[in-house]
Amino acid sequence: MSDYQHILSTEHLYKSFGPLEVLKDINLAVKKGEVICIIGPSGAGKSTYLRSLNQLEKITSGKIFIKDELFLHREHNRTIHRAEPEAQKAMLLEMGMVFQRFNLFPHKTVLENVMIAQVLVRKKTKEAAQKLAEEIIERVGLSDKLDVYPSKLSGGQQQRVAIARALAMEPEIMLFDEPTSSLDPELVGEVLGVMKGLAKQGMTMLCVTHEMGFAREVADRVVFMADGLILEEGTPKDLFDHPTNEKAINFLKSVL
Amino acid sequence: MSRFKKLVDIKNWKRSSKTVAIVVLATLALVFLLSAINVSKQDMLDQASDSVKQIIEDEKTSSRKSLTITYNNLGVVSYTSFTTSGANAIRESYVGFAGSIYGADEGAGKFAGQMVNYTYRMLGTGENLLHGVKLTLLLTTLSMAIGAVMSVFLALGKISENKLISRLSSAYIFFFRGTPLLIQMFVIYFSVPGIFGFSWRSLFSAGDPEAVYKGAFIAALIAFSLNAAAYCAEIVRAAIQSIDKGQNEAAKALGMSYGQMMRTIVIPQSIRRMIPPLCNEFVMMIKDVSLVFAISLMDITTISKTIMTSEGNYLVFVPALLIYLVITAILTFIFGKIEKRLSIYE
Repeated sequence: MSDYQHILSTEHLYKSFGPLEVLKDINLAVKKGEVICIIGPSGAGKSTYLRSLNQLEKITSGKIFIKDELFLHREHNRTIHRAEPEAQKAMLLEMGMVFQRFNLFPHKTVLENVMIAQVLVRKKTKEAAQKLAEEIIERVGLSDKLDVYPSKLSGGQQQRVAIARALAMEPEIMLFDEPTSSLDPELVGEVLGVMKGLAKQGMTMLCVTHEMGFAREVADRVVFMADGLILEEGTPKDLFDHPTNEKAINFLKSVL
Repeated sequence: MSRFKKLVDIKNWKRSSKTVAIVVLATLALVFLLSAINVSKQDMLDQASDSVKQIIEDEKTSSRKSLTITYNNLGVVSYTSFTTSGANAIRESYVGFAGSIYGADEGAGKFAGQMVNYTYRMLGTGENLLHGVKLTLLLTTLSMAIGAVMSVFLALGKISENKLISRLSSAYIFFFRGTPLLIQMFVIYFSVPGIFGFSWRSLFSAGDPEAVYKGAFIAALIAFSLNAAAYCAEIVRAAIQSIDKGQNEAAKALGMSYGQMMRTIVIPQSIRRMIPPLCNEFVMMIKDVSLVFAISLMDITTISKTIMTSEGNYLVFVPALLIYLVITAILTFIFGKIEKRLSIYE
């Protein structure tokens, strides 16, 4: 058993871009091994929330905890508390991120994409990094593409490499920011397949997604966000079959 | 397959590569052949008229030298002239090509002779290193190399989040792009030694007859490098900023530091985008080198102007233009190759 209650949690998270308030008081606690899908209309702040978690966006106010330890506390754009640089780096590395637009490094081959951060950040030897990279690339089913540049891959294959690249850092939490939204419909399945596999292996996952089927099948908990607020959350069964919030009802009507 | 193996595996070369290789080899063979059978200086002397030979004989016994012998060997073609000054001056010239000697005092021979002579002078053959084409190539290559390295730091400085560094970099770029290169060179050549109490030539030993030119070259090199850095910095900055922000985010999400991200992700991708504008900058600078006339150095343009003034031959600009075109063509070819090599992943 883990010696912490929540692997990741946020308290009273606020984020504004100038006068625009994107996140308003987001409270969410994630247990180890939990798969949470965040759904909601566009502009709800779902992506911003994920990006705030791993510091791609600076939050305006709120607290972020990793393994129950305070990672960051800010109030009104001022940092009140922040973990020590070393601890901070280690905590950030607990999170792997997969982007909507893959963001693979185009000048590196598939293998190099999956190796580079292991060598630079985890300070592994090339041999060790390559060994793990080849293992993980095999898990996402792209062993025959090791020396290929990303431009020669389909969108689905690129996203699988991106997942492999994040996994190679051996994170405990995976953040997925609409991983299938920029894919052709026939390529969505292969990426979701890899994600389901990960969920089965017990990876803690936070997915912003529009794939309701995936959310229903895989998620332990579904969170509905709109206008920067969490309006409803619950098991997929509760949320999809008996939504109570009016906005959630309307949203689900329009997508299902 | 390794690059070397590919190179050796001639059978599998592309057809176009084979054609290029044949043309290049044939040209080289022809040049080699023509150089081998080119007319020697002695042959030219033998060809001279009796009156010239008489003067050469006279000079052996007298201390007075009146005959000027010019021998310009460009490899495949050579040119010789015999001139004396004063009344009844002798002017005789010859062009040697493919083992034969032709008179070059009138008509097509005269034109060919002049072209050989002018080209020879502009190439700076036989002169010191800081003369003609050699000066142009040396100054542009060195100052572009130094400027390019400096420009990376200036560009990173300009986009830095540190306000002081950013402002200093911007001010540097603003100053060097906003003032004429000629005045920048004057400041470095005249004002800097004036203020700090030294002279550029004193950087070299007093006995060095070329100290003046070497000193001027150092001053020009500094001015050109500082100037190139400012122009290249804008190219580098634009290229860096043109890289998709998603690349930065992916690198950050993987825990890379700013330096690691720039070094391994952003700059390598941006280099390919810098190549065309950098080539442009390089080509412009080759021509800007002519400004060094103002600090006593002689580049291609300056030499052609000097010949024009002293000999009044407006055809002198033909070889000058051709030399520039050849340099630019070679440079464009090289940069094109680099760009292609850097594009393999696209």
